[in-house]
Amino acid sequence: MTPSTSHKIIGLLFGAGFGFVLAAANLHEYKTIHDMLSLKEFDVFLLMGGAIGVSLPLLALLERNKAKTVLGGTLSLSRSPVKRQNVVGGALFGIGWALSGTCPAPALVMLASGAGLAIITIIGLFIGLGLRDAQTSRAAGTAVTGDGEHRETVAAR
Amino acid sequence: MISAVLPDRLPWYLAGPALGLLVVGFFMFTNQPLGATGAYVETAKTVRRVPGAVSWRAFYFVGIALGGLAAVLLKEDGFVARKGYDVLLDANDMNLSLPVASAVIFVGAIVMGYGARMAGGCTSGHGICGTAQRSPASWAATISFMSAAVVTTFFVNQF
Repeated sequence: MTPSTSHKIIGLLFGAGFGFVLAAANLHEYKTIHDMLSLKEFDVFLLMGGAIGVSLPLLALLERNKAKTVLGGTLSLSRSPVKRQNVVGGALFGIGWALSGTCPAPALVMLASGAGLAIITIIGLFIGLGLRDAQTSRAAGTAVTGDGEHRETVAAR
Repeated sequence: MISAVLPDRLPWYLAGPALGLLVVGFFMFTNQPLGATGAYVETAKTVRRVPGAVSWRAFYFVGIALGGLAAVLLKEDGFVARKGYDVLLDANDMNLSLPVASAVIFVGAIVMGYGARMAGGCTSGHGICGTAQRSPASWAATISFMSAAVVTTFFVNQF
């Protein structure tokens, strides 16, 4: 099996696992996110804390032991210094998140669960991402790629 | 129809660690984080056949929807074709008309996409995968979007 095929299968499976958990925890419901951001209930904050609480120490341990990944060589984590774009972009993201009541991954689950208006959210997201890309390419700069997004590693494609 | 295998809402103390293990597992297979913003970007590139597109991220993108559908089908209510966004539309709640609600959602999503691309990630990329790598940029972005979202929601709730 070529690395590319393995990546596609792994990507599909982990995407499915991710979407499954999001839907199981009701994160695709506008009400869940709205109640969280209204500070009416703290389950989603605790959920994110639980996710970080499990993955942060495990990744730290694996990094220290120079763990070998299956398809991408030795495990390498990214730690970028804070840039202005992280904070300003984050604030814009937060405003949009509060208005549309869902973020990028749960929007896909929202649509898959039968909520038709989620198509507006998904199209809007693609437009917003494209607007920023058009702006950075006009300015002859490159978009900031955060530490949680795709990066070039061994056999990344 | 499959009867309810999953509860209406999986509690946070199961769902949170499960997401954490998925993040670690994905790193151990691919040496890559699981951010969703990048999945949108690479999916758009793959569909438009831009050279250098990371096409397997499109499989991840599709997987999210399929996995979500699977979980929904295992719940008591199952798949229900509906508008969604009940809080915005309900007469007892914000009572927005469909065109107004659609406009709010659309503008919100454009601002969200623009901001995510500027910040370099979203709730999954910065909020979980970046923070778990102990990235200062991700912690800063996460604190920023959480604060902005809580403040914005406070103003939305005044209507």
